[in-house]
Amino acid sequence: MPGKNIYKPILFKLDEIETESPLIKTFFLHPEADFHFKTGQFVEVTIDGIGEAPYTPSSSATVSDRMEITIMKAGYVTSKMHELHPGATLGIRGPFGRGYPLEKFYGKDVIILGGGVGIAPLRCLILTMLAESEKYRKIHVCLGAKSPGDFIYKSWYPQLRAMEKINLLRAVDKADQEWDETVGVVTVLLDKLDLDFSESVAIVCGPPVMMKFGTYKLLEKGVREENIYLSMEKNMSCGLGKCGHCALGDYYVCKDGPVFTYDQIKDYPDIWI
Amino acid sequence: MSVYSIARQEWAESIFKVSTEYAIYAPVEKFKTVDYELVTAENVSEIAYNGQLPVLPLKAFFFPVKENVGQEPVADKRIIIGVRNCDLMALKLLDAVFLDEEFLDIHYQSRRENTILIGNDCYAIKETCHCTVYGLEPYPQENMDITISPVGEVLYLSVATPKGATLLTKLNMTGLREESELPESVQRKRAVIREKLKNQHKELPGLEETKAGLLKTDASFWQEYAQKCVSCGACAMICPTCHCFLLIDRQNFEKVKNWDTCQYPSFEKVAAGEDPLRRLSKRLKNRYECKYIHKPEMFNALACTGCGRCIDACIGKIDKNQIIIAACKKD
Ligand code: SF4
Ligand code: SF4
Ligand code: FES
Repeated sequence: MPGKNIYKPILFKLDEIETESPLIKTFFLHPEADFHFKTGQFVEVTIDGIGEAPYTPSSSATVSDRMEITIMKAGYVTSKMHELHPGATLGIRGPFGRGYPLEKFYGKDVIILGGGVGIAPLRCLILTMLAESEKYRKIHVCLGAKSPGDFIYKSWYPQLRAMEKINLLRAVDKADQEWDETVGVVTVLLDKLDLDFSESVAIVCGPPVMMKFGTYKLLEKGVREENIYLSMEKNMSCGLGKCGHCALGDYYVCKDGPVFTYDQIKDYPDIWI
Repeated sequence: MSVYSIARQEWAESIFKVSTEYAIYAPVEKFKTVDYELVTAENVSEIAYNGQLPVLPLKAFFFPVKENVGQEPVADKRIIIGVRNCDLMALKLLDAVFLDEEFLDIHYQSRRENTILIGNDCYAIKETCHCTVYGLEPYPQENMDITISPVGEVLYLSVATPKGATLLTKLNMTGLREESELPESVQRKRAVIREKLKNQHKELPGLEETKAGLLKTDASFWQEYAQKCVSCGACAMICPTCHCFLLIDRQNFEKVKNWDTCQYPSFEKVAAGEDPLRRLSKRLKNRYECKYIHKPEMFNALACTGCGRCIDACIGKIDKNQIIIAACKKD
């Protein structure tokens, strides 16, 4: 009797779709079989007969009867995702990867630095942390976008801001008339934090330039290399540590990551592209 | 390991008898090249025990060029005869990848479990064979169920696993004789071949030195060699250890596992457009770093067993050993 087929997806139903911005939509799904994941892990989503692509859920990992995934239209498969309608059936393999080691964040100031669609996996992390918020000292959420209209999850920020555990700071490259928060690159928000950086952990997720300059700025502020968690984006096919597409030095990002601490990968060339 | 002897003739007849139960593949020479063929009544007497390394890497039997992994695993019983040590040792890496406990590939596992591997001493070696450089011997060391060492019209069978022993019982050969050990002549032959291999690659550095040499290469080094590379991927397809693949979607959520390689453009390209291996020279370099630096570290197995096939196959006439020698040159 052969064991489980690792290449076979389990089925999810698409319940609802929300448009976040012209290029970004959030898909609300529910699984048709038992499904659990940890925050920081990702899944491979299949559109039947079309293709498969990796995404990190944006909903809380403590919820298992539904799942949200936010997807930016970038290539062939993501364009097809954007054409879907509620009621569609999707295939999901996973969860894959190691996820965030939340225990290591306990009792600490946690800095969450994100930009663009990189905010999606961070939302999952924030929601999961909030489910046991007493375990963390404070959660400093520093987010950036091109303009106020480009922020995804617009209705979520007022709720976040109202929470005592959360210190929410946002920056835009280009403000509009109503914007009364920071104008500038997201990294300037780190200057507004008053905390002991050497004892804090930081989680970074966003476009490659943001990851790079965000990391440099965190290091400059005194965050330790082993306390900077980076979500590495790589080409992926299997998610299983077999197909080779996601190789990064001695690691397969799908299996050993996708979250790495800066000290694990800093010596490899081209980590930021 | 128990050793037996049997006349070539009787072995051929008996093995053919089980071809109703097993699909049997063995190296046969055709148009001056040796490759695995399905054993039939016509070619059973032509099995090339003393021939060249088969063109097809052994991996293809377990990790086919194209395989629908959305369906049930294939469980056909097979015997593969004439397998060489470089290919057997390559299975160590493939097993680590596909039989990994966390994500067991049942398709690979099923093919592997249902196959009996009959290894062969290497008597005819190619100019490009260089297994000894990486510490390997020119006869089966691991992963074989039986080893055949031919001496004239007699075949010596060394049984390495219960699977091999069971097959031997099943063959029920009346002329099978138990021997105390392999004859002196086989040992001598092994030593001669080993020396010959060592002599034909005297200047080629071993794994550790190769690693160190590669680490100090710069971009211009690879740009020079990349001029002759056309990204055809032949080196990877023919390589017994390269295991990269791409999953392609079919209807009903089925996936087809297709051989793929880092030598092809866009192998590492992400949806947003960035591609760390966009330049051909980086792809070429990646192949070497993968084989001699990263894979041995990740899987504790050789990712180059020195079979020499990639050198024979390269249409740009790139000799990977010359690249390694150049990379390790003291300056
Ligand atoms: S890299 Fe070349 S010589 Fe080494 S195992 Fe692969 S095909 Fe053979
Ligand atoms: S050399 Fe390239 S194709 Fe071969 S295993 Fe390494 S990454 Fe895959
Ligand atoms: S996606 Fe296949 S090895 Fe990582």
